[in-house]
Amino acid sequence: MAYAYLFKYIIIGDTGVGKSCLLLQFTDKRFQPVHDLTIGVEFGARMITIDGKQIKLQIWDTAGQESFRSITRSYYRGAAGALLVYDITRRDTFNHLTTWLEDARQHSNSNMVIMLIGNKSDLESRREVKKEEGEAFAREHGLIFMETSAKTASNVEEAFINTAKEIYEKIQEGVFDINNEANGIKIGPQHATTNATLSGSQGGQQAGGGCC
Amino acid sequence: MSDSERPKESEGQLEDQEMESQQTPSPVADSPTGMLGSDTDAAPVRKTRKRPENKPLTEPKEEAPEIQKTEDDSRKKSSESAVTQGGWGYWGSWGKSIISTASATVATVGQGISQAIEKAETSLGIPSPVDLSAQVKEEEEEDGSPKSKNAGEETDGASSLGGAMGMFSSLSSVVQSTGKTVITGGLDALEFIGKKTMDVIAEGDPGFKKTKGLMITTSTLSQVLREAKEREEKQTAEVSSDTEKKAHYGMLFDEYQGLSHLEALEILSRESEAKVKSVLTTMSGEELAQLKGELGQIKVPFSLVEFDEEEVEEKKDDGGTEFVKELSEALADLHLSTNADKLGRSIKKAYDSISEMNRPANGTKQEGEGNEEEVHSRAEEEVHSRAEEVKRCTVEDIHSSAIRSLAELTARSIEQFHKVAELILHYESQETTALEQAKTLSQITIVLCREISLLSKKFTSCLTTLGANEKGDVLNPLITGVFLEASNSASYIQDAFQLLLPVLEEILKHTGQKYC
Repeated sequence: MAYAYLFKYIIIGDTGVGKSCLLLQFTDKRFQPVHDLTIGVEFGARMITIDGKQIKLQIWDTAGQESFRSITRSYYRGAAGALLVYDITRRDTFNHLTTWLEDARQHSNSNMVIMLIGNKSDLESRREVKKEEGEAFAREHGLIFMETSAKTASNVEEAFINTAKEIYEKIQEGVFDINNEANGIKIGPQHATTNATLSGSQGGQQAGGGCC
Repeated sequence: MSDSERPKESEGQLEDQEMESQQTPSPVADSPTGMLGSDTDAAPVRKTRKRPENKPLTEPKEEAPEIQKTEDDSRKKSSESAVTQGGWGYWGSWGKSIISTASATVATVGQGISQAIEKAETSLGIPSPVDLSAQVKEEEEEDGSPKSKNAGEETDGASSLGGAMGMFSSLSSVVQSTGKTVITGGLDALEFIGKKTMDVIAEGDPGFKKTKGLMITTSTLSQVLREAKEREEKQTAEVSSDTEKKAHYGMLFDEYQGLSHLEALEILSRESEAKVKSVLTTMSGEELAQLKGELGQIKVPFSLVEFDEEEVEEKKDDGGTEFVKELSEALADLHLSTNADKLGRSIKKAYDSISEMNRPANGTKQEGEGNEEEVHSRAEEEVHSRAEEVKRCTVEDIHSSAIRSLAELTARSIEQFHKVAELILHYESQETTALEQAKTLSQITIVLCREISLLSKKFTSCLTTLGANEKGDVLNPLITGVFLEASNSASYIQDAFQLLLPVLEEILKHTGQKYC
């Protein structure tokens, strides 16, 4: 499971906007409508390929509850990318974006790529926040923007992968100092032994022969 | 170590003395770098949990090596005698041969390896098969007399323990590859392993205990994390043995998000530490004295944790239910909304796989280690028929399963501690005090480590029984690997526990402020 780079992501946003569901959809390709409240932070990881390179995303899925805020802030540092999520069916989650953004900018490195996500796009009938509003907010604050549905998996892959692409581009441009792990980027092991998990059969055969 | 030493001294002292004995200078040709510059690395590791007055986490970490060094100097004499008494000679040439080969193999990789290998292998207490040394004669001869060489190896190993932490996994692979060429013990040795590993290690054999203890570090916490990651990379980069590829502890531990939880826990711990420090600087007089007193109290449960003496009950064979019960009760005592569900599932999975492997034989009794003698003599009789019955389950499979279970259980334990830290910081419990929580957490640590130990024994017992037809050079490294990773697991858990101290101190700080 060798990778060229490892990116640390954080997912932030109000409680109930679907942060954990987005992560689950991305890592496990499934949707779980009822979710326990996240305590502090939970983790997910997945390998993606960009420009022919294996990139491991290590995702920190933070608790949205206000009461956990002081704890979750501690986790922002050293993230290369952030998914800032709101719920298109709840305007208040959109209204809180500024606070989230300030928080994120203050507690992480300035180069962090932030993807704004309007989640629950499947619930069109209950929409309270227009797509244009999200786009405008993103434009204004220099964010990438996407509407997703963790339920139907629409745009979920894209959200995570586009963020990674942006980070990757920044690396190519030399914006990120990849040798500084505080940037949330780590260079993978040099020798790619992709067959690491495949073999081991030799030992097994030996053993099998020995017992007869 | 000779038994005569045991009753006279407290465990802590004994430990220290043993460690010192390894410090006795005697450079080794095989691995010259071991002696150089690694003293300071080793120091914080060695000192950590064996001394009741544990160095508080809140104090600068850099202090540790210095202090340790002074101790080293002052104790060198006594250590010298420890060696000449011939405590290590007891283990015979077996361990020695292993070491020389091993150190030759790994000299460039990391010095800690030879130490840990030596520890693990001697802990098994396998009598030296005559032909053992044949293959390693060459290396031996380079090193002069066996006796001095043996001591030398230990020196070398102990002085580089700092490196041992991260090397553990790669180490087991080295043991395996080395073992293949060296060990030709056969069935006799296997039986011996079966019997000896169980009681030697369970009874807190100094050697193994040390191996475990050496891996514990409370003062260089970030090192744990860093080296764990490095190890992961190293392993990915240079996979060296078949089994290692299949069952790679470091990668599995990461897969179960153990590293992430450890990293997050470390972040919280560091921040709490900083907050407490800053509060202390703003206080003075009585207020300060009071808080310092309370902080001191809280440290006590963190420095007294001692697992190795924990008589791991061999009779316990309940598929982990007792463990879950104990753990749940302890977690409830914390008055935090956390439960043992995840850990419970992991342990159940582990026991399920064990009983699955044992199934074709006499059912559950087989895995009960209530009476080892009985189990093993019975195993002898049944060896042939059984081995054929369970061909579907190779020793490598058992080994993989063991490593996976240990990695999962450890990752879940770290997760549990991480959650505890978050919840402690999230809301201050009114029902209990930080001191009470500290005590409970130390209890939880013991419960977790005991379970790790128990589990590793069940797996190795499985290996010994089902692998009775295997050659020693196949089986021994596997068994060693399981024990090594088990001690690795225990040290991760204990490190995570230590990370909770600053978190509790921060809570105390709040209460302290409330009082004033």
